[in-house]
Amino acid sequence: MTRFRALYGAGPLNLLALLASFAIAGAAVVGWFQRPRDVVSVLVWFAAAIVLHDLVLLPLYSLLDRIAFGVAGKRLRGARRPDVSGLVNPTPYLRIPAILSGLLLAVFFPVIGGFGAQTELSASGIPESGYLARWLLATGVIFAASAIAYALAIARAGGPPATAGPPPGTAGPPPGTAGPPATPDPGPDQVLVDPRPAAPDQDQAAPSDGAAPTPTPD
Amino acid sequence: MRLPGVDPNRPPPGPFRPDFWRSPLRGRWLTSVLGLILLIGIPIVAITGLISNVAYQPLLGANSIGTNLSPLDLYVFTWPTRPVWLYALTEGLHVTIGLALFPVLLAKLWSVFPRLFEWPPVRSPAHALERISLVLLVGSAMFEFLSGIFVTQFYYPFPFFFTSAHYFGAWVFIGAFGAHVALKFGTMRRGLRTRGDVMEAAGSGAALEPGPVSLTAVSPGPVTMSRRVLLGTVGAGSLLLLVQGAAGAIGGPFRFLSLFGPHTNPGSGPLDFPITETAAAAQITPASVGDAWRLEVVGKQTLRFSREQLLAMPQHTYDLPVACTEGWSTTQRWTGVRLRDLATLAGVHEAATVTSDSVQPAGYVVTLGSEQVADEQSLLALRVNGIDLSLDHGFPARVISPAVPGTHCTKWVSGMQFSPVPA
Repeated sequence: MTRFRALYGAGPLNLLALLASFAIAGAAVVGWFQRPRDVVSVLVWFAAAIVLHDLVLLPLYSLLDRIAFGVAGKRLRGARRPDVSGLVNPTPYLRIPAILSGLLLAVFFPVIGGFGAQTELSASGIPESGYLARWLLATGVIFAASAIAYALAIARAGGPPATAGPPPGTAGPPPGTAGPPATPDPGPDQVLVDPRPAAPDQDQAAPSDGAAPTPTPD
Repeated sequence: MRLPGVDPNRPPPGPFRPDFWRSPLRGRWLTSVLGLILLIGIPIVAITGLISNVAYQPLLGANSIGTNLSPLDLYVFTWPTRPVWLYALTEGLHVTIGLALFPVLLAKLWSVFPRLFEWPPVRSPAHALERISLVLLVGSAMFEFLSGIFVTQFYYPFPFFFTSAHYFGAWVFIGAFGAHVALKFGTMRRGLRTRGDVMEAAGSGAALEPGPVSLTAVSPGPVTMSRRVLLGTVGAGSLLLLVQGAAGAIGGPFRFLSLFGPHTNPGSGPLDFPITETAAAAQITPASVGDAWRLEVVGKQTLRFSREQLLAMPQHTYDLPVACTEGWSTTQRWTGVRLRDLATLAGVHEAATVTSDSVQPAGYVVTLGSEQVADEQSLLALRVNGIDLSLDHGFPARVISPAVPGTHCTKWVSGMQFSPVPA
């Protein structure tokens, strides 16, 4: 047994589970071959699905998030002015509706963009125009809900956003969308860390960007 | 195990370096929570998907997609006719839960994404096999989710036959998912218990996990949202998609919530309910369904009926759903002749299946089982909601049968053949 572990790198059950899954996958691939003309396109789409997610979708939304809400994005926008949000950190109130709207677009882009339009019109008799408007409307409603939540959070925090000072409360997520108020992620409130690993935390004095602003260490 | 040319201690630059990954949110607890949700949800989607295949009664006539994994599949039961909403429920669940899990799947993949670039790429034979299995898992998951999501929107960007590809892709997914659960269940359980530690260490760069690669960032960036807010956002996204699926599946007064449902019909008249295929799409010509139309019923003898003759037979009315494979369904009041009455007229008194065809030029051959034929609610419908069928709803006559997929309720029926089931 120890010899098996040393050679294989895990226990025999690990090997059995993996072999079973490969056997099932193999049977399925044989099934695909029952439609020989489809096999190549199925395998291409199988690979494309991985590439689409791992090398396109995920990097794309990470990049968009970084541009919109990240440190680099702030620099890009030259946003060095004082944080006027004051008591309540606005980031979640922008980021969450953006994620939800983007999710709707990612899932329903075929109807929103009318890519299935030909089939759709002839198939169900209902034109697809209007789905773009519906998505925009849904996006508007989501952002409006977030704006209301933000206004309420500011009101709860006790005053208009222009007041600067030590934040007394934590920024909760919009009610109804994000569960209970955010608990702070403990640990040093590393604010505006340069993305380069070697860079020191030269921006410690800047206001917190965190979901749960706490007084900066210095 | 050492790979030639790979120095385990000197990863290439970029994503292969642990300090490339900076989100303070990643960590074992987050991944475990998302994994637990998928562990509960994926089996529902998988089983309802296999049930859908059973509902198509692939062992009858030409119903089969030409393919099945008989030893693995759920052919242990014949598809029942009760409750009448059974297929509406199982397919509604399949589509709706599938939609709702998609954001969770995306979040789960994001949470473990650094692992794709772990260094060294292979540590042992076990590790190599597991990584191959993960290629199958991620590939089949994205393949299944994307193809399913596309097809519910009538979007066919791929040349292959969806039903067959989706079915076998599901088996790749089920196999890889099972292995993943077997390998990672313990890790997930431990991960769920680490919540306090993880929360404490978030942002501090402490690597909590044993093993070569931690999910926790070694040099995390600023905390811009908590894990709870992230989970809440994923949950809100799931809820949004759940509503989209459920509103279409439940229909009725809730259908307006199905913003992106491809079958939203704005009217409220007796014929304003969703359809999948118009008469125009099926290339139904007025002549083919005009006065010259006859229904040919084949049994021990062959009979031909005009629509007037069918209307002169005993009529029965039932409220039955049309449940589409795309997940939506709509319940309407159908009136017509019982299939079993037609079978009797054709001289078939014993249990029989029925194979129906359509006047559409491409043909539309579907077989229903003897349970369906024997059921009193299985009709050749001539009217709906008190008025004649419209052309788009299948005029002059369509099949409607309890709990069968909508695609098996042939419209514009031209012929029905009743075949006795060998005892």
